[in-house]
Formats: sequence, C-alpha cells, structure tokens
Amino acid sequence: MSLETCRAQDVTEQSISGEREMTIQSLCWLKLTSSELPRFGESMRFDLNSGQTKCISEDIKSNAMTVGKYSVVNPNEGYPVPDTHKLTVKVTSPYGNFYHHTDHAESGNYAFTAAEAGDYNACFWVPIHNPPVNVTVEFDWKTGFAAKDWSKVAKKGQVEMMELELKKLADAVSSIHDEMFYLREREDEMQKLNIETNSRMASLGVLSLVVCLSVAALQLWHLKTFFERKKLL
Amino acid sequence: MRLRSAEICLILAFILSFIRHVCTVSINVNEVECVYEEILHEGDAVSGSFVVLDHEIFWTSDHPGIEMTVTSPAGQVVYSLKGTSGDKFKFKATYSGMYQFCFRNPISTPEVVSFHIHVGHIPDEHDLAKDEHLDPIYIKIAELREALESVTADQKYLKARNVRHRYTNLSIRKRVIFYTISEYFLLVGASTLQVMYIRRLFSDPANGRV
Repeated sequence: MSLETCRAQDVTEQSISGEREMTIQSLCWLKLTSSELPRFGESMRFDLNSGQTKCISEDIKSNAMTVGKYSVVNPNEGYPVPDTHKLTVKVTSPYGNFYHHTDHAESGNYAFTAAEAGDYNACFWVPIHNPPVNVTVEFDWKTGFAAKDWSKVAKKGQVEMMELELKKLADAVSSIHDEMFYLREREDEMQKLNIETNSRMASLGVLSLVVCLSVAALQLWHLKTFFERKKLL
Repeated sequence: MRLRSAEICLILAFILSFIRHVCTVSINVNEVECVYEEILHEGDAVSGSFVVLDHEIFWTSDHPGIEMTVTSPAGQVVYSLKGTSGDKFKFKATYSGMYQFCFRNPISTPEVVSFHIHVGHIPDEHDLAKDEHLDPIYIKIAELREALESVTADQKYLKARNVRHRYTNLSIRKRVIFYTISEYFLLVGASTLQVMYIRRLFSDPANGRV
C-alpha cells in the first residue's frame, strides 16, 4: 500500500534533478523494502492437510465493505508452487449465495459489499493427495472501516500525515459508536426473547396443571360410569 | 518542495509500520486448531479474547471448556488458559517472530471458537532517534490508537459473548416448549393406558366378576 503511495509521490514530481533528489528517492525505496513492511503485514496463518476443509467465518453487517486476501506459503523458496499445494476457495453468504469461487489458485483476493447481514464463510480445501501434504495458508479478511483503502485517500493531494492518522482514528471511533448501537439492539432483542420465554413458561405451567387435573377428572368420571354400568358399584 | 514530499514518503513508511495487527475470525475446532500470527517487533503488547460459541447443547450443560496455548517462536509456552468457555488475554511479546495460538478441544464434538488478536506497537525513543522527521506527536497518536483498539477488542468480546448467550436462550426456549408439549401428550397417553388396563382387568371373565 505504501509502496504505491511512494511511487505516486515520485511520479508527481516535476523536474527530477540533482543527485540529492536521487539519494532521497533511493532512501525512500530502502525504507519500504526493509523489514518494517512485510508482504502480508496484517494476516494470520493456518495449516491445511490434504483433503481437509477449513472454514473461517466472519460476521458482516449489510452494506459493509469487505476485503479478503489469501495465499499459499511456498514450501520451497524460488520454485513454483506444486499442484498439491493449490487451493480451492469458496466464499458464501449466510443465505448460500457464492460471492467468490476459485479452483487451484496459489493466491488471490476478493472484495465485495455485503448485501445480507450475517455470517459469511470462507472455505478452503486442498486436493486429496497421498502422502498427505501440509499446506500453510496465509489469510487476511478485513471488514468495515479496516477495509477502507487509505492509499486512495492519501493520494488525493498532499494530505498531511497527521491528518491521515487522525482521519483513521475518527473512522475507528465512529465504527465503535456503530458497534455499540448494534450491541444495544441485540441486547434489546435478547431481553424481549427472554421476557417472552418467561411468560410462555408461566402460561405453559398453568396449562399443564389444567391438563393434569382435567385428565384426572376424566379418568375418575369414566371409571365411575364404567363400574356403574358393570353393576359393580 | 521536493524534499517535503520525500519527507512525507519516509514518514508514511514509518507510520505504516505501526501495524494495526488485528484478526477476528470464527473457526471450527475439532481437536487442535492452530493459528499463526507474525509479531514484528519485540516488546509489542499482544491482547485478545476468545469465546466458545456452543451451537448444539445436548445433555451436558457445561462443556469442560477449550484450552488455549500461545507458543513463542523459540518454542516455549508464553501463555496458557485451561477449561474456559471464553476469556481475554494480554501478554508482552519478548521475541519477534511467528507466534502460535493453539486451541484444543478435549471432547470430540466440534465447537466454534471466535477469537480476536491484536498486536499493538508503540514507537519509542529508539525509533525517534532513527528518524528526525518523526514527531513525538506520532507516539501520542499511536498510544491513542492503542487505547481505541482496546475498546474495540472489548466490544468484540462482548459481541461474541452475546452471540453465545443468544444460542443458550434459543435453546432454553426450544427445550421449554418441546418438553412441555411432550409432557402433555405423555400424560394423556399414560392416563388412557391406565383406564384401558383397569377396564380390561374388570372385563376379563377370568378375573373378577363380570
């Protein structure tokens, strides 16, 4: 992300002259390729055995932007990834619609705006192979404000660094606020559910008492008439 | 002017190294499930939470809980939690590298675990000395961001516990209705059987008088 921004800054420069400029540019490049910014800076890894399916789910609200990136960690550096290590990925919505589907991919990404609110599943599997192979997958899934592409905002002119950082913080705060509203709603729903269950238990308890007593009364009445008929009473 | 944009470039690189390392996912845990996170700077504060979402609660009301262990790249266990259905954790990373977060399920029924991991890095005087363009204000901004992230982490924990609570409530409701209705039917059935048996006892010419 920052690599692009750096390049864009260089491109917007007018006349590039003097070795001083060159030194600064090369410094810039060095900084970015140093260890501070690995390729997938914010991702997690998990293992997949051959033929195994693993699903990761994320709760997404409707109209939220979401971005996902996945890649197979190459077991042999410098050689192409073998076929046994290729992934099949499916991203499904809570109602079963497919948002992303790839077969035999080494890496990829997906981005969509969630139409339905609920649990979205990203399922990975590796083709069956004998002997079983262990594949490490690097995966990153961001939703909501974390999925926003800050490099686009930074590119739009000379946005001050501090302003950008503070904008990010403001976004974080507004998402916290939204989340609090959502939590409050859910708690309200649950309270309604509990109150309804409570009243239902009360009414079902009374009903069970009524059923018990009426069944007992019916029994007694039926047996009485039966014995009277049989002239035993 | 040109210097300024190069400055911005350097500072941008530095700012982005304050990585907002966040991971919130739900995974199925069958026996052992491990997730790896890369921690780039030593001394980073790793915080997070995990909650077990019981989908199907059968006979046992209490699952013995899930075990969580965090292993450092050197191989030693940095943090461990046993037998809980969800908790928050916080520790300071003494090494940088690939940390392993493992969840172990002692019972064979699959459980869904929702976890959230955050790695926070605040630049200190060492980073300040490395680059003169780095204002001390960026440290304050990083601290502010870390505080906000801790609020977000708390929220996510509450949300996951809420989901678990909701499953429990739905299960309670289902059980109440199912058991009560079946109790009625069983009661009516048992009393009918009783009456029929008594009638048979008295109608049978071998027993009693007709």
